[in-house]
Amino acid sequence: MKNTDMRMHVQGKSVFIDDITAPDGLLHAVLFTSPVSKGRLKNIDISKAKTAKGVAAVFTHKDIPGKNQIGHMILDQPMFAFDEVEYIGQPIGMVVADTRKNASKACQLINIDIEKIEPVLDPREAYKKGLIHAQKRVLTNGDVEAAFKNCKYIAEGTIDSGPQEHFYFETQRGLAYPVEDDKIKVCASAQSPGAYQHHVAEILGIPMHKVELEIRRLGGGFGGKESTAVWVAAPALAAKLLNRPVKLALTRNEDIATSGKRHAYSYDYKLGLDAEGKILAFEIFLYQHAGACADISPAVLGRSFLHTSGSYYIPNIKVTAVSCKTNIPPNNAFRGFGVPQGTFSIETAIQHASEIMGINPIEIKKKNLLSDGDFLPYGMRLEKTNARRCWETLDKQTDIAKRIKSVEEYNKNNKNFKRGIAVIPVCFGISFAQSTLNQASALVNIYIDGSVSVSAGAVEMGQGVNSKIQSIAAKTLGIPVNFVHIDTTNTSRIPNASPTSASTGADLNGMAAKTACEELLLRLKKYIAKKTNYYILDEILINDGVVFLKGAKLDFTWKELIAEAYADRTDLSCHSFYATPAIYYDRIKERGRPFAYYSYGTSITEVLVDCVRGTYDIESVDVVHDVGQSLSKEIDKGQIEGGVIQSIGWATIEQIKYGKDGKVLTSANSYKIPDIKFVPKKFNVTLLENSNNPYAVCNSKAVGEPPFIHGLGAYYAILSVLRGIRKDKPFPSLPLTPEKVFMYIRE
Amino acid sequence: MLKFIINNKIVETEKSAGMILLDFIRNEEKLTGTKEACREGECGACSVLIGKLNESGKMEYKTCASCLLPIGDVKDCHIVTVEGLDMPDLTLVQRLIIENSASQCGFCTPGIVLSLTGYCFSSDNFDYEDAITALDGNICRCTGYAAIRNAAKALSDSLLNNKNSDKNKRLELLADMEIVPKYFFDIPEKIKSLKSRCNQDLNDDTAVVAGGTDLFVQKPDKLEDSKLYFMSGRSDLDYIKSDDSNLLIGGAVNLEEFRKSETVNKYFPQMKNIILLHSSTILRNKATIAGNIVNASPIGDMSIILLVLNAALVIECKSRGLREVKLSEFYKGYKKYDLIGCEIIREIKIPKPSQNFYFNFEKVSNRKILDIASVNSAVSIKFDGNNNMEDLKISAGGVAPIPLLLKGFDEFTGKKINSENIKKIAEFSVNQVAPIDDIRGSAKYKKLLLKQLILSHFEKF
Repeated sequence: MKNTDMRMHVQGKSVFIDDITAPDGLLHAVLFTSPVSKGRLKNIDISKAKTAKGVAAVFTHKDIPGKNQIGHMILDQPMFAFDEVEYIGQPIGMVVADTRKNASKACQLINIDIEKIEPVLDPREAYKKGLIHAQKRVLTNGDVEAAFKNCKYIAEGTIDSGPQEHFYFETQRGLAYPVEDDKIKVCASAQSPGAYQHHVAEILGIPMHKVELEIRRLGGGFGGKESTAVWVAAPALAAKLLNRPVKLALTRNEDIATSGKRHAYSYDYKLGLDAEGKILAFEIFLYQHAGACADISPAVLGRSFLHTSGSYYIPNIKVTAVSCKTNIPPNNAFRGFGVPQGTFSIETAIQHASEIMGINPIEIKKKNLLSDGDFLPYGMRLEKTNARRCWETLDKQTDIAKRIKSVEEYNKNNKNFKRGIAVIPVCFGISFAQSTLNQASALVNIYIDGSVSVSAGAVEMGQGVNSKIQSIAAKTLGIPVNFVHIDTTNTSRIPNASPTSASTGADLNGMAAKTACEELLLRLKKYIAKKTNYYILDEILINDGVVFLKGAKLDFTWKELIAEAYADRTDLSCHSFYATPAIYYDRIKERGRPFAYYSYGTSITEVLVDCVRGTYDIESVDVVHDVGQSLSKEIDKGQIEGGVIQSIGWATIEQIKYGKDGKVLTSANSYKIPDIKFVPKKFNVTLLENSNNPYAVCNSKAVGEPPFIHGLGAYYAILSVLRGIRKDKPFPSLPLTPEKVFMYIRE
Repeated sequence: MLKFIINNKIVETEKSAGMILLDFIRNEEKLTGTKEACREGECGACSVLIGKLNESGKMEYKTCASCLLPIGDVKDCHIVTVEGLDMPDLTLVQRLIIENSASQCGFCTPGIVLSLTGYCFSSDNFDYEDAITALDGNICRCTGYAAIRNAAKALSDSLLNNKNSDKNKRLELLADMEIVPKYFFDIPEKIKSLKSRCNQDLNDDTAVVAGGTDLFVQKPDKLEDSKLYFMSGRSDLDYIKSDDSNLLIGGAVNLEEFRKSETVNKYFPQMKNIILLHSSTILRNKATIAGNIVNASPIGDMSIILLVLNAALVIECKSRGLREVKLSEFYKGYKKYDLIGCEIIREIKIPKPSQNFYFNFEKVSNRKILDIASVNSAVSIKFDGNNNMEDLKISAGGVAPIPLLLKGFDEFTGKKINSENIKKIAEFSVNQVAPIDDIRGSAKYKKLLLKQLILSHFEKF
C-alpha cells in the first residue's frame, strides 16, 4: 500500500493552507517581534503603522479578549509580550492589512522602546544562575559510586550537540474565518488539533466548541508544529476582532529566525567498564538549551533522560537532567524528541572508552547490547527485544568486521583521504512519555451508497498515516481501499485529539479506526444473520466487498448490503476510542513502564574525509530496522530513508549560528540541508523480518522517529577519522561541519 | 503590455515587469500547484519550465526557479507549471514518482516533476547523472532522496530504451512517451503571434536584470516598482564564440549555456564540472556570467575563475559607446566596481589558453552543491618550453572585500614548480588576505583553508 496522497501531489492538486481559495475580504497578518533578547518593554508606538497604506488594524497584548498565554506545558509564554521581552523574535503584536507586503511595511513603522537587560545565552551559565524550566530530574539505579570503584576503564568528559532547524517546506501558518454565532474556524498547519484548539479558545476567551480547527495536511511538520500555537492563534485573534478572514504565513527567514529548533545540549559523562569491556556504570548530566520559555522542552528533556542508556544494558546509572532557560527563541519538538541527544550521550562515552581501551567501539557495543530480561534504568524489564537480531542481520548482510578491516587497510595506504566507519544500534521507546496523551479516537461513517469516510485525530504530514489508516479500515471492513476516504482532521468530528507525534499516529489512531470498523462489521454481520437467518457470525465474512456465508459467496454486493442495512435501520456510523493499555510512570520514583514497546535497528555508516580540505562524502549507509509487521513497506522504507538523511544533516552540515546578542544569524541561504548529491550513493534499508509486536495495531511498529538515530553514524564515522589523525584535543561537538573537521585537523 | 503563454493559455498583462512570476502564477492565474517555500531559489518547490522560441523555430525548455523570475523576463515565453502537464492519465514522470514512492508531504513534489520533465528536454543522452544534476536545486526534507533517485533512474532507463534519440525530434519523443501533453506542438505558432510591446530603455535609474537570481533575493520589493532592463531581451548578446585570440562570451549568456558550451570546454574541459559547483540547474538556467561579475560578491565563483583567466569586459553605453576594462581592475571595493548606471557588460573576453597552460579551481562550502563558498580560489599557470612558470595567477574569494587577484608572483617567473616554491607561493598568498568572521566561517578558518586550497592547486605536480 503506497501513500495514496501521491497521486494528487504529483499533479500539484494537493491543497495546503496557501492553496485554499482566498475568501472574499481576506486580510493578511504579520507579527512584529522583539529586536532585543532581554529587556523591559517600556512603550509600543503603533500610531504610524495604524494609518499606513492598506492597514486594517494593529493589535498588541491589550487587544487580547481572553488570556494572553500560549504556554504549552507551563504558563510562561504570553502570546504577545506585555512587560518584558525574553528573546529576539518574540511576538509583541501584529499588523493586519490588505496585503502581506503592506502589513510587512507597516511593521517597520512601529517603534518599540525596550530597556535592555544582559541576556543569558549559555545553558550551563543559566543552570548556575538557577534559570531552569520545570524541575531538575534525577534518576538513579544501582550504586554508581560503588560501581565506578570496580571499573578498570573510566571515560569521562564533556561534549555538546547542536540545534537543528526543521525546515518543513510549508512554513508556520494559519487561515482563520469568522463563522456565525461568534464561532471561528481555523485551517491550520498544526500537529496538535486538540491543544491548538484549546490555545485559540483561551486567547479568544470563548469556549472550545466555538473554535473549529481543520487540518487537511501539512507540508512537513517533524515536530515543529506541535506546541507553539502563536502562528495559528494570531490569525484567529485577528479574524475574531475584525470579523474578517485573516491569513498568517511566515516567510522562510521569519520562520528560521523565530521558531523553535531541535535543542542543543551540553553533556558531562562518565562511563565505567570492567576489563572485558562490560559497562558497569554510567553517570550523565544533561543540560538542555531550552530557550526563553518552557514550550515543550521539559517533555523533550524527559525523553532524553529516559534514553541515555541507548541500546545497552547498564546496571548502575545516574542521570541528571535540567532544562535551561536562555534568551533564544524557545526550542520545541523535532523528530526524535530528545532521544537522539540521549543516545548521543552514551554513544560518545562508548567511543571515548574504546579509545582508552584501544579497541574498536563495536566490541563494547556488542558486549553490552540489550537482551530479553534486561532492565532499563527506570525499572522496565525488556521482552521481545530485537536489538541483537538487528545487529546480527546487519552483520550477516554487510560483514561488519570485514568492512572495518577494509577501512583500516585503506587508511594505511592513503594520506590525504581517510575513511571512517561507525555502527549504531537503536532502541527507541514508543508511546508518549506523558501517559495521558496515549489516547485517540476515530469516527467511521458508512454512507448509503457504500462509501466509507474515516476521521481520526491523526494529522497527515507526509508520513503516510492517512494511507495506513485507510488500509486498516478497508482490511477490517473487508472492502477495497478505494471505498474508503480519509477525511480532514477536524476538532468538531474528533475532539481532544492528542498531537500526531511520538511516532504514535498510526499506532493510536489506526487502532481507534480499527475498533470502530470492527464494531460496524459486527453490526453488518448481525444484519446479514437476521436476513439469512444464520446466526453463527464467525462464518459470515466480507472480503474485497463480497459477502460470504459458510465460505459461499452471497449474491449481494457491499453496496446492496449497506443499502439494506440502512433500510433496516442499522447504525452505520461508529465512533471509537483507544488508549494504550498498561503504561504508567511515577515521576517521583522515576520508575515505571512509560513505553508500550521499543523499536530497534542497527546501521553501518561509511564516510570518506578529504583531510586537506576538511570536506567529506557520506559514502554508504546500510540500515536494518525493526518495524514489526509493516503496515506499508513503501511508506516505512520512506520514513526510514527520510529520517536517516535528516539526521545525517543534523550530525554534519546543518548548523544554526547565534549572534552574541542571541539573534539567529542563519537564514535560508546559509542553512544547508541535504541535497540529492549529498545522499550516500550506497543506501540500503532492510526491514527486519519476522518481527511481531502485539502492542500495536496489526502487529506493526511505529516508524516516524526511531530511524533518526541511525544518522548519528555519520558523526562517529567522521569522528573516527579525526581521532585517527589527532588525539590531543577533546572530542569535537556535533555537527561536524566541514569547517569543524578542517579546524580539528589543522588548528 | 507583457504577453506570454502559461500552460495552454495566452496571457496579457499590464502588471509591472518586476512582478515575481511565482506570485503571478499563484495569485493572478490561481495555479496553486507551484509552491512557495523559500523565495530565494534555495529549494526548487517553485520550479517551472520556461520555453523560448529559438532561431530555428523550435521551443527550447529549461527549468527555472519562478520565485526569482520577474515576469518581464519571460515575455514571449511558454511557462509550464505542473497544471500544464495535465493529460488524461498521469505523465510518465508523475507515474514513476508514484511507483517509486518518491513523494511524502508533497510540497516539493511539483517542482521535482518539473525538474525531471526539464531533464527530458535538456539532457543530450538521457544519462542518469544528468537526471540527478537536473534535481540539484530541488530540496526535499522528507524522503531522503533514495526514492527520488530511483524514480530518476527509471526515467533515464525508459528514455534510453526508446530508440528515438534524435534531438531534433525531442518533442515528438516526449509526447509519444506521455511526458508532455500534445498541445506543446501548437506552442511555437502561438508564441510567434505574441510579440509583447515593451521596448526597454536603459537610463541611470534603470535596474539591469542579468538573470536576477541574486538581485531578486536582495531587494524584490524595490525591484517590483523599478524600471527594469532585461539582458534576456538582448538576444544579440546570447552568444559564445571565439576569434583568433579570445573566447567571446555575450553578456546574456547564462551559466548553464557556458557550462555546456563546446567552445568553452574545448579550451577549458574542467568547466563542465566546475560550474556545477556554482549553483543549481534551476538557477544556472537563468543566472548569467555577466550578472555574477556585476553582483561583485567577494566570493563569486565566476569572478574568481575569470580573474586568473585574465578576462576582460567589454562595456557598452548607448551614449558613450564601448570601452574595455580588465576584470582584475574592475573591482574597486566591497560591491563597488567600474560600471555606471547606463552601462552594461556587453561581452566577456577570455584569452585562449596557450599550449602549456594549467588551470584549476577549488571551492569549499558547507554543502558541496548549491552553497556559497567559505573560500574559493583559482590558479592559472603559463609554462615556457622548459616547464618553467612564465605567468602565475592566483585568485582568492571570501578573504577580502572583493574577489581578489593575488599579486606579486613575479619572483616565480622562470622557476619550476617544486615543493619549496609551492610552499612559498602559499605563504605569499595567505599574507595578502584579511578575511573576517562571518556566517561562512571564522577568519582563522578561511585563512588556513586558503592555504590548503592553494597547496591543492599544485597537488598534481
